[in-house]
Amino acid sequence: MIKAQNVVKKYNSQEVLKGVSLDINDGEFVVILGASGSGKSTLLSLLSGLEKADSGLIECNGVRLDNLKDDELTKFRKEQVGFIFQQYFLLSHLNVDDNVKLGANLAANKDYGQIIEAVGLKDKMKSKPSQLSGGEQQRVCIARALAKNPKILFLDEPTGALDEKTGREVLDYIVNLQRQKGFTMVMVTHNANIADMAEKVVKMNSGEIVEVYNNDAQKSAYEIGW
Amino acid sequence: MVVSVKDGIKLVGISIVCCCAVFVCTFMLNYYLDILPLESELSGEYMTQLYNAQLAMAKLTTIVTGGILAAIAVIMLFFYIKLYIDSHAQQLGIIKAFGYSRGKIASKFWVFGLSVFVGCALGFGGGWIAMRYIYDEMTIEGMGEIAIHFHTGLLFALVIIPTVVFVALSCLYAYFALQRPALQLLKGKFEKAKSKVGKEEKDRQFLWQMCLKTLSGKKSIVFFVAFSSFCFSAMVQMGLSMENLTSASMGYMILMIGLILAIVTMFMAVTTLINSNKKNVSLMKAFGYSMKERSLSILGGYVPFAFLGFGVGSAYQYGLLKIMVNIVFADVESMPEYNFDVPVFFLTLALFVVCYFALMTYYAFKLNRISVKEVMIEN
Repeated sequence: MIKAQNVVKKYNSQEVLKGVSLDINDGEFVVILGASGSGKSTLLSLLSGLEKADSGLIECNGVRLDNLKDDELTKFRKEQVGFIFQQYFLLSHLNVDDNVKLGANLAANKDYGQIIEAVGLKDKMKSKPSQLSGGEQQRVCIARALAKNPKILFLDEPTGALDEKTGREVLDYIVNLQRQKGFTMVMVTHNANIADMAEKVVKMNSGEIVEVYNNDAQKSAYEIGW
Repeated sequence: MVVSVKDGIKLVGISIVCCCAVFVCTFMLNYYLDILPLESELSGEYMTQLYNAQLAMAKLTTIVTGGILAAIAVIMLFFYIKLYIDSHAQQLGIIKAFGYSRGKIASKFWVFGLSVFVGCALGFGGGWIAMRYIYDEMTIEGMGEIAIHFHTGLLFALVIIPTVVFVALSCLYAYFALQRPALQLLKGKFEKAKSKVGKEEKDRQFLWQMCLKTLSGKKSIVFFVAFSSFCFSAMVQMGLSMENLTSASMGYMILMIGLILAIVTMFMAVTTLINSNKKNVSLMKAFGYSMKERSLSILGGYVPFAFLGFGVGSAYQYGLLKIMVNIVFADVESMPEYNFDVPVFFLTLALFVVCYFALMTYYAFKLNRISVKEVMIEN
């Protein structure tokens, strides 16, 4: 369970998050929705332990993140968290296999080959990122994040750099995987249609949560608009 | 992980500096250790004076060359690591975000020590190849041919230990340089001290401001430009004025080492400068600034520092040779007096001006070839 209470974050005296409170249950798929500058990515950074809040409480699976030192936060991320970003951040000199191994090594996961196979990149194990399409690169990121067996997967605009068809494929794949494996998933997006796929939607504006609602019937990636 | 063995080996600048340092130290220390047990064979005061002077010279040359070049190699190493972290910030950021500890990531930077190993090994080998020739040049009158012996301790002191020390330094420096939070690395943002912009600065012309910003943006480049000029000035003048003091071939060797160091350092500094200013230059080109304006705003600010390095180099070589003659060889009667060599100074200065501005003109043309399209593709 992720719990945030009255979280405040400032950059250069400008308040980016103004006392945000939020609860996310285990195994839930949550979309944080908001326009550029609404504070959604900052909230994701704080919930995932990439940054520390200036004040307020953040608790992830029983761990108080706001009290942790940098090396303890690193350990928390190592054991609990996986990331997928809009920019793929793949290591350009490593092939697909080695890029995924980067995540697998942290969890001593020797069976990461199955994940590469599952994302449909078995034939491209030895390819470098520059030899892959955008969708394929994002699938490597998914495999890299899942290879470390995360308890919570954080995604920051994962389809932002993809075309509609590839974006739908990637989303469909991630959501199905989340349902199969049951990990918690927190996705940040500005695309309101993607919110229809989530169990819970958190709407943000100007550093505040303006609305939280649950979707009774979640749509698939092929049912939403784009 | 993010640092590959290839990254470590390609630091040619460090390899060359280490090679030069170990090359000189190998034959000087080997010579020192080989003549040390010969003290009992000395006959006559003149021979003893010469023997003592050779011992002192070997020691002094090792300390001065080895010390200075080792310090330069350390600075270069830190410079390269910092540059590497800056240019691979996002890749390092994702590794940190995933939960790899700072120590674990820093430990991969050991590969940067490989360039030191390559340089030291080459220098050691080179020193051995040149050994017989150097021994012949440094014979002590009346003592005959000095036998060359292999000293295992030197292999450790000049190849193994420097490699281990530089490997440790690489990891340690990377550990501190990786203090930045993962998110900051991912965004490619680096904390910089806020500069107070006064009215006076606002009024300065854009090109002058650009020139100052380029200088203050990478201060280490200022050091390397000055150091390159220092090497050129000190070692070319020393090489040309040593003919009367030792032998012409010893002078040429010093001259060659000086030129190699000067060229390598200048090349490294200016290449880094150009690569880090590609965007600015391409934008200036797109806005219509002329080639002269563009190159002046990037390269122009370094001219005073180049000449400062040249001046310090002249004083340094004069001081060093004066110490050699007046202190180390003070007891040797046949030692000629040493004075500042004015013609050699002006000859070196003329050579320096020609070489420096020719090189800058070459780089100005290189800057001119950078296009907006090229920069956009890279991003």
